[in-house]
Amino acid sequence: MTEMTRRRTGTGAVPRVRSFGYVNWRGVWTLYHREVKRFLKVFTQTIAAPVVTTLLFYTIFSVALENRVGTVGSTPFVVFLAPGLIMMTILQNSFANTSSSIMVSKVQGNIVDVLMPPISPLEMMCAYIAGGVTRGMIVAIASTTAMFFLVGLPFENPGAIAFFALSASVMLALLGMIAGIWADKFDHMAAITNFVIVPLSFLSGTFYSIERLPEAWQAFARFNPFFYAIDGFRYGFIGQGDAGFWLGAAVMLGIDLVLFLIVRRMLVTGYKLKS
Amino acid sequence: MPPRNGIILGGRPVARRFGPVNCRGLATMYKREMLRGFKIWGITLAAPTVRALLFASVFGLAIDRQDAMMGGVPFIDFLLPGLVAVAALERSFQSSAFSIVYDKNEGIFSDLAMLPLTPGEIVFGYAAASVSASLIVGAVVWAALLLVGGAVPIAPLTLIFFVALGSLMIGLFSQITGLWARKWDYLESVQTFIFMPFVFLSGVFFSIDELSASAQPFARTNPVFYIVDGIRFAITGRADANPWVGAGVCVAVTVVLWVIVYRLFAAGYRMKS
Repeated sequence: MTEMTRRRTGTGAVPRVRSFGYVNWRGVWTLYHREVKRFLKVFTQTIAAPVVTTLLFYTIFSVALENRVGTVGSTPFVVFLAPGLIMMTILQNSFANTSSSIMVSKVQGNIVDVLMPPISPLEMMCAYIAGGVTRGMIVAIASTTAMFFLVGLPFENPGAIAFFALSASVMLALLGMIAGIWADKFDHMAAITNFVIVPLSFLSGTFYSIERLPEAWQAFARFNPFFYAIDGFRYGFIGQGDAGFWLGAAVMLGIDLVLFLIVRRMLVTGYKLKS
Repeated sequence: MPPRNGIILGGRPVARRFGPVNCRGLATMYKREMLRGFKIWGITLAAPTVRALLFASVFGLAIDRQDAMMGGVPFIDFLLPGLVAVAALERSFQSSAFSIVYDKNEGIFSDLAMLPLTPGEIVFGYAAASVSASLIVGAVVWAALLLVGGAVPIAPLTLIFFVALGSLMIGLFSQITGLWARKWDYLESVQTFIFMPFVFLSGVFFSIDELSASAQPFARTNPVFYIVDGIRFAITGRADANPWVGAGVCVAVTVVLWVIVYRLFAAGYRMKS
């Protein structure tokens, strides 16, 4: 980690400035470390609570609908449902991690401590994204394990599972950064969560195949990026999806790239962060 | 002539007097609690409405057969009263506890102990705000659900009775939670690990009869079940249990909770240090 940081101990009485190469690895690592410790410290809220909520959703939907829906395509309803619920929790937790971190820093005024150190906007966002993705993945692994024992999930295409889990987590970590930077108050954040993130994840095809929707709504549903995340992730488990692997992958990469550029722009210009 | 409120006799201010109940103090506290909740009505009213509509849509879309039944009535008729119940009960859980923990964080919670309000009046003030807030949220969510096939209640007074009873019971539980919670984390834990399972597994989304025989007794000891069942009875006329037995159970639970909250406030639990 420190091979790039050519740190010298002070020669003579004058301490020297730490110098590093193109990337301030230690700075990125420190910020990442902070981001991870931040959520691990309250792991009952950040890990246990989402897993319990996912299992609660699984229970109510399976008890209420298993006998009324039967199969979706040729997949038993509960097997169809489980990957969608896991993806929903990945999306919500990756979003919550970056957005709450930036929001709390802004409200408490310690955001300057992130803006002043010698790390570039690019390095800063990588550390935040990695923190959000780490939380998303821990929650994903915990709920997938629980679902595996409840439902007996198949794992048709582990590569697709990993790809969609990671790319969706990055997408929501980036959205979380945008929301965190934009929001002035906790109310704004609650509004984004309640009126944007939750509806997009509920209406993304977690609970039904979008082929069930009327034609006009189908076209509309296909504009929802969460649909591709959930559909691709489910494809990884059960081997079939509505959108197809390559289209889903292309959409995810495209959206990640666009959001990445937006967040980078926000950080470079100091939008709502540097006054 | 005895000195009256606010009148200064001989240049000296006189303490305000009141009868057995400090009505003005109670009204002030009630007003503060209501304003606190509804100042951010975009969250307290619109968010539960959006969520209820989302649940109604995903359940509606997931069921392909329009003739799907639950507990003897069409599924959507079964579901919508449950969604009204969830919205109302969530509001009452969030009312007092969030208010108390917020005051604790700001360091102004112990101000309550200095007011000329008795413990009974404080409990009543919080409880009254919980119940009114829940009735408002319940009414708004019910009206919104009319758009997606909600029904006009067949027994409106019974509906108001069950929503009020349920939100009083949960509101008192919320006061206990708020008093106990030292930090937001505690409150969120109670919400996620106790409140949500009790509500979500109470027969909001499915008839208790759908549960396995081993889970039945457990589900029927959940007091929230009787509230949800009573609300559904008032709207659709269909119930899993005898609603009046349910009401009796909930009144008993409410009385016990009231006594507990009263004693906590009287003792100054986590209030007077």
